Amino acid sequence: MRVKSNAFLIAVSAVILGLIAGGILMLAIGSNPFEGFFYLFRGGLMNMERVGNTIATAITLMLVGLSVAFAFKTGLFNIGAAGQMLVGGLCATLVAHYVFLPRPFYLLVIILCAFAGGALWGVIPGLLKARFNVHEVVATIMMNWIAYWSVYYFVPAYLKGPSLETESKSIAIEQTLRSPWLTKIFGGGYINLGIFFAIAAVFIIKYVLDKTTLGFELKAVGSNRFCAEYAGIRVNRNVIISMMIAGGLAGLAGMTFYTGYSRNIQIGVMPSMGFDGIAVALLGASNPIGVLLSALFFGMLQSGKGFMNAMTDVPPEIADTIIATIIYFTATSVLFSRFWDSLGKRKKKRLDAKREASAKEAGNA
Amino acid sequence: MSHVIEMLHIRKEFPGIVANDDITLQVEKGEIHAILGENGAGKSTLMSILFGLYHADRGVIKVRGEEVRINSPNDATDLGIGMVHQHFQLVQTFTVTENIILGKEGSFVLDRKSAAKRIKALSEQYGLSINPDSVIESITVGMQQRVEILKMLYRDAEILIFDEPTAVLTPQEIDELMQIMRNMVKEGKSVILITHKLDEIKAVADRCTIIRRGKMVGVVDVASTSQAKMAAMMVGRPVNFKVAKQDMQAGKPVLEVQSLRVLNNKKVPAVKDFTLAVRAGEIVGIAGVDGNGQSELVEAITGLRPAVSGAVLLNGKAITHASIRERNEAGIGHIPEDRQKRGLVMSAPLGSNMVIKEYYRPPFSKNGILKQPVIDKHAQDICDAFDVRSGEGILSLAGKLSGGNQQKAIVGREMALEPDLIIAVQPTRGLDVGAIEYIHKRLVEHRDKGKAVLLVSFELDEIFNLSDRIAVMNSGELIDVVETKKTNEEEVGLMMAGVKTKEAAR
Amino acid sequence: MKKALYVGLMVLAIALVMVSCGKKESATATTPAATPAQVVTQPAPAAPAAKPAAKLKVGMITDAGTIDDKSFNQGTWEGILKAQNEGIVDAKYLKPSGTTEADYLKEIGNLYDAGYRFIITPGYKFETSIYEAQDKYPSAKFVILDGEPHTADYATFRTEKNVVAVFWAEHESGFLAGIAAALQMKTGNFGFIGGMEIPAVQKFNWGWQQGVKYANENLGTNITMLAENYLYQGSFDNVAAGQQIAASMFDKGVNVIFAAAGGVGVGAINEAKARVTAGKDVWIVGVDVDQYPDGMLPTGKSVILTSAMKYLDRASYDMIKHELAGTFPGGQKLNLDATNDGIGIPVQNPNLSADVMAKVQELYGKLKNGEVKVADTQLPGLFK
Repeated sequence: MRVKSNAFLIAVSAVILGLIAGGILMLAIGSNPFEGFFYLFRGGLMNMERVGNTIATAITLMLVGLSVAFAFKTGLFNIGAAGQMLVGGLCATLVAHYVFLPRPFYLLVIILCAFAGGALWGVIPGLLKARFNVHEVVATIMMNWIAYWSVYYFVPAYLKGPSLETESKSIAIEQTLRSPWLTKIFGGGYINLGIFFAIAAVFIIKYVLDKTTLGFELKAVGSNRFCAEYAGIRVNRNVIISMMIAGGLAGLAGMTFYTGYSRNIQIGVMPSMGFDGIAVALLGASNPIGVLLSALFFGMLQSGKGFMNAMTDVPPEIADTIIATIIYFTATSVLFSRFWDSLGKRKKKRLDAKREASAKEAGNA
Repeated sequence: MSHVIEMLHIRKEFPGIVANDDITLQVEKGEIHAILGENGAGKSTLMSILFGLYHADRGVIKVRGEEVRINSPNDATDLGIGMVHQHFQLVQTFTVTENIILGKEGSFVLDRKSAAKRIKALSEQYGLSINPDSVIESITVGMQQRVEILKMLYRDAEILIFDEPTAVLTPQEIDELMQIMRNMVKEGKSVILITHKLDEIKAVADRCTIIRRGKMVGVVDVASTSQAKMAAMMVGRPVNFKVAKQDMQAGKPVLEVQSLRVLNNKKVPAVKDFTLAVRAGEIVGIAGVDGNGQSELVEAITGLRPAVSGAVLLNGKAITHASIRERNEAGIGHIPEDRQKRGLVMSAPLGSNMVIKEYYRPPFSKNGILKQPVIDKHAQDICDAFDVRSGEGILSLAGKLSGGNQQKAIVGREMALEPDLIIAVQPTRGLDVGAIEYIHKRLVEHRDKGKAVLLVSFELDEIFNLSDRIAVMNSGELIDVVETKKTNEEEVGLMMAGVKTKEAAR
Repeated sequence: MKKALYVGLMVLAIALVMVSCGKKESATATTPAATPAQVVTQPAPAAPAAKPAAKLKVGMITDAGTIDDKSFNQGTWEGILKAQNEGIVDAKYLKPSGTTEADYLKEIGNLYDAGYRFIITPGYKFETSIYEAQDKYPSAKFVILDGEPHTADYATFRTEKNVVAVFWAEHESGFLAGIAAALQMKTGNFGFIGGMEIPAVQKFNWGWQQGVKYANENLGTNITMLAENYLYQGSFDNVAAGQQIAASMFDKGVNVIFAAAGGVGVGAINEAKARVTAGKDVWIVGVDVDQYPDGMLPTGKSVILTSAMKYLDRASYDMIKHELAGTFPGGQKLNLDATNDGIGIPVQNPNLSADVMAKVQELYGKLKNGEVKVADTQLPGLFK
C-alpha cells in the first residue's frame, strides 16, 4: 500500500460527502434522512439473506469496477463494460445451456468463455485505438450498442424460451453459479460462487499490476505514454492488452450477472452496472482492494434501496435519485483529492511557518 | 537620483511557496537594470506584479515617485510600462502594423496609413529596421520580437521589461537586440532585463539586482563586478564555469547518420540530407536555434520518429528501421529534450523510473515477475552515484523531485546503461549552475571512457564548453562541422543563421 | 495492507451495528408502546382477524418503465390509488433496479418485510418471481396481471391459494379498435408499432389486423395494410425511436398507427401531434388505457382516434375489494374479455362519429354472445 497513503481518507470523506448530499436531498423532499439511511442500511444488511443479496450485487460491481480500474491504469477509459458484460454473459449463458461437465471443469469452461467474450469486445476498441487512433470512449460506446443489438438478435433466434421473445430460456439451477451451500448459509440470497471469482480476480489483478513486467508496462503507458514510448515499451501493444483484459473482466462480470444473479439474459436491456462500475473504480482509486471495498459499499446501497423505499415516504424515483446522488457525489468527490491535498499542504505550511516563527522568537529571546 | 520605478519590500506568496520575500527593486531613469536569478528564484513573479498580472501581498510600488496601484496590464500600459514576453502575443496572419495597432485602433475607421508611417519612424529611430507591411508568419523570430518591442514603443512605453529575451535568438540577433536596448536608453527610456545569463548582463546592463530563492541578495554595479562574483551571489556559492577536459584521440565512428531525411508533425521535411558521424571518445555538439530540425533528427536516431530516407548506423550496423527497444539494447542512451514529457513517469516512484528501460530483463525480472529488491538496489545505487536527492529516496514520486534532481536521475539512468552513444538534448535546460556543472562533468567523463556523446543545445556556451566538434544546423540542413578549437562563437553564430563559413570568408 | 484490514474491520463494524439495530427494533416492537406500523412489520403468527382495524397495506412493483407510463404500470396503479382514495387501503409501489427475477423477488421481499401483505405485480415478467414468492411468503397474497406463476423452464404451472392470475383478451380489444378506426377513416393505410414482442402485445396486433380485415370484408371499408408497417421497436421506453418509426410510417403514407408500446407509443403520439399541427391528417390508436388526453393538442383536439383498452385499474381495484370482502379468488386464473366487460374502447370517443360508435357497440355485443370470434394467434394472412 505504498501508493497514495491518503486514498483511503479521500474515499471515506467522499462517502461521507455523498451521504450528506443524499441526506440533503431527502430533507428537500420532506423526509427524515436519519430514518432514510437507517432503513437503507438495514435493507442491505438486516439479515443473512439481505447480506447475501448485497454481496450478490457487489460481485458484479466488483468485476466491472476492476475492469474500469484496470483500463484506467493504462490511461484508458473503458466505458464499454456494459457491452462487454452482455457479450461475456451471452457466452456464459450458451455454456450454461449446452455444456455439461463435472462442476470444477464446468466452472473453468464458463469462466474462460465469459472472459473470452468480454475480451473480444474489449480488444476491438483497443485495436482501433492502437491502429487508427480511434478514441476508446467512442469505440467502446459503439461496441455497447453492437452488443446490445447482437443480443437482441441472438437471444430470440437461438436461445428463445418456450413462450417469451424477450428473454433467453432460463438456465437450470444446477448450471448457474449459485451454490446450494452458499444459498443455505445466506438464507436464500442470490449470492453465488461469483464472489470467490471476483475476490480472486481482485488479487490476481493486484499482483499483475504490482509485481509483473506486464503491470509495469501497463502502468508506464497509462501514466506517461511518451515516456513509455521513449523507454522502448510498445505502447500500442499495451493498449490492446489492457483493453483485452479489461474487457475480459467485464465479461466475467456479465457471467456473474446473467448466470449467477439472474438466470437468463434479457434483450433490450443495457446492464446499468456497466456504468456504475465507473463510480466503483473512481471511489476505489483504481486500486484493486479499493474496488473490492467500494463495490461492497455500492452493492449495499443498491440492495438496501428498496427497503428504504418500502419503509419511508420517499417515492421510488427519488430513491433512485438519492442512490445515484450518493454514488456520483461520492465518485466525484474522489476527484477533489487535489483539493484535499492542497488544503492539507496549506495547513501544514501554516503550521510550519508558525513553528518557525515561534522558534525564531524563542531564539531571539 | 530619480527612480523611475520603485518596488519596495514586495512580498508575494503562493500556496506552498513564498515567491517574493521582501524584495526591493529601484530602477533609475535611463538605465538598463538587470534582474539576475536562477529559474524559480522569483524574477518573473516580481515582473508580473509590476505589470499588473499578480497583486503583491505586501509592499509598495512607486512610478516616478508616486505610489500607484497596478491592477491589470492596462493600468501598467497607462503608466508607461511595457513588457516583451518570452512567448510573443502576435496574430500570425496579420501584418506588423495590424498587430501593433491591435487593441489601439483609435477611431472606428482604421487609419492604417498614418499608423504605418509612425511605426516606420519609430523603427528608424531605434534601429529596428522593420517593414510595417510584412506579415508576421513570414518574418524571423528575431524580427517578431522587434514587433513586440515596437508595440510597446507605439504605446509610448517609458519603461520596457524584457523577460528572458535572448532564449530564442541567434548570437547575432542577440548582439543586435543589445544595440536596440542601448538605443532605447539613449532616447531616455528605461529597460529592465530579466535573465540568468551573465554575459548578457555584463554586455549591456548598468546595474543588476540579484535574487535568490525569493529573497533579494543585493544590487551590484555591473561594470565593477566580475561574472564569477555575480554567479556566486546568484547561486550562493562559488561556481566553476569551465569543465576541465583533456584532449582525446577519437576512435572509430559509433554513430553514422547518412543522408537522413525526416518529416515533422506537419509532414514537412524537418531534416534534409543530413550526414554526420560521432566517433568513440568525442563529444559532437549540434548548434542551432531552436526549431531547426534538431528534435526531429534526434527522434529519428532514437526511433521515436520514422526516417523518410537515408540511414542510421550504430557501430556499423544499420538501425534505421529498428524498434526503440532494439536501439536501446544496441547501445543508445538518450537524455530527452523534455524530461517531464519523455524522461520520467512523474506519477511513478523514482525506483520504477530508474529501470524503465531494463525492467523486463534479468536481473530485474524473471519470467515476467519483477524482482523488487534488485530494482530498488539498482535505483538506490544510481541515486547514490549521481547525488539524486529526494524526500523519500527511491520511493519518492518522480514528480516531487526538483528539476535538477530529476535531470540527474535521468542522466544517472542513462549512464548506468553504459551505452556506446549518449544523446543529450538540452541536458541542462532550466537547471541551476550547480547542477549544470555536475551534468557537464558526467558527460565529459562518459566521453573519457571512450564512448560517444551527441549533444544538442541551444546554448552556445554549453556547446563550446563540452564539444570536441561542432555541427551547425539550420532549417534541417547541416551547414558545416567544425573543430571547436578552430572556431569561435561569431563564426558558429553566422552558420546558425544559415551562412556557410566559406561564403562568409569570401 | 494494514489499511485494507482497517477498512474491512470498519465495514464489519457497520454491519454489526445494523444487525444489532435490527434486533433492537424487533425487541421494541413487542412492547405495548409499539406503533401500529411496527406491529405490522412483525411477522404475525396471529390470525389477521385478531388485529384491530389496521388498513390493508397494498404494494405494487413496477414492470420495466415508469409509474406514469400511460399504460400498464399506470393503469394498475390507478386502480390501487382509487382504493387508497376511498380510504380502504394504504398503498405503495416500488421500482426494481432491474428486470430480472432476482430484482423482482428482492422488491417483493422489501414489501413483505415492510408489512405489505397484498402485492400486485403487473406483467408476465413476474411469473417466475410469483411462483417462488407464493411459497416463500404464504401469509401474503399476490395478484399477477397478464401472467400466471410457473417455473423458469415452464415445466410446472402452479397457482397457489394466495395468488390470482389475471389475463385479458387483448385481441378482442385490438379487434374493436381496428373496427372503429376502419369505420371512421373508411379508406387509408394502417400501421402498428409494438413495444417488445410479448404475448400481450402480439395479441393486440393480431386482433387489430383482424378487426381491420373484418371491416374491409363486411362493413365496406377500404383500408390497406402492408407488412412493412407492422413492427416491434423492441422496448417499452425508447421515446425517440417511437417517434422515428412513426415518422417513417407517416412518410410512407400511413395515416393511422396503432401504438401498443408504452413509452415508444408516446414518441409516436408526439410525432402525430407535430404532423397534425402542421396540417396533416394522421391518427394514433392508443393502448391499455384511454390515451385521449395524451394526444391533446393546444387546439383542444386529440390525435388519439380511439384506444384499445384493457381495464387494468378495474382488475387491481376489484381484487382489493374482493380481498377486503373476504372473497379473494385465490388459486384462480381470471380471463377478462368482452363477456365480463374486461376490455373495450372508451365510452367517450370524441373523434369517432355516433354511427361508428353504434356499429362498434353492435360488434361488441356479437363478441359477447360469441357470434363473432377473434383469434389470439397469428392466423394465416396476418403479419407478425
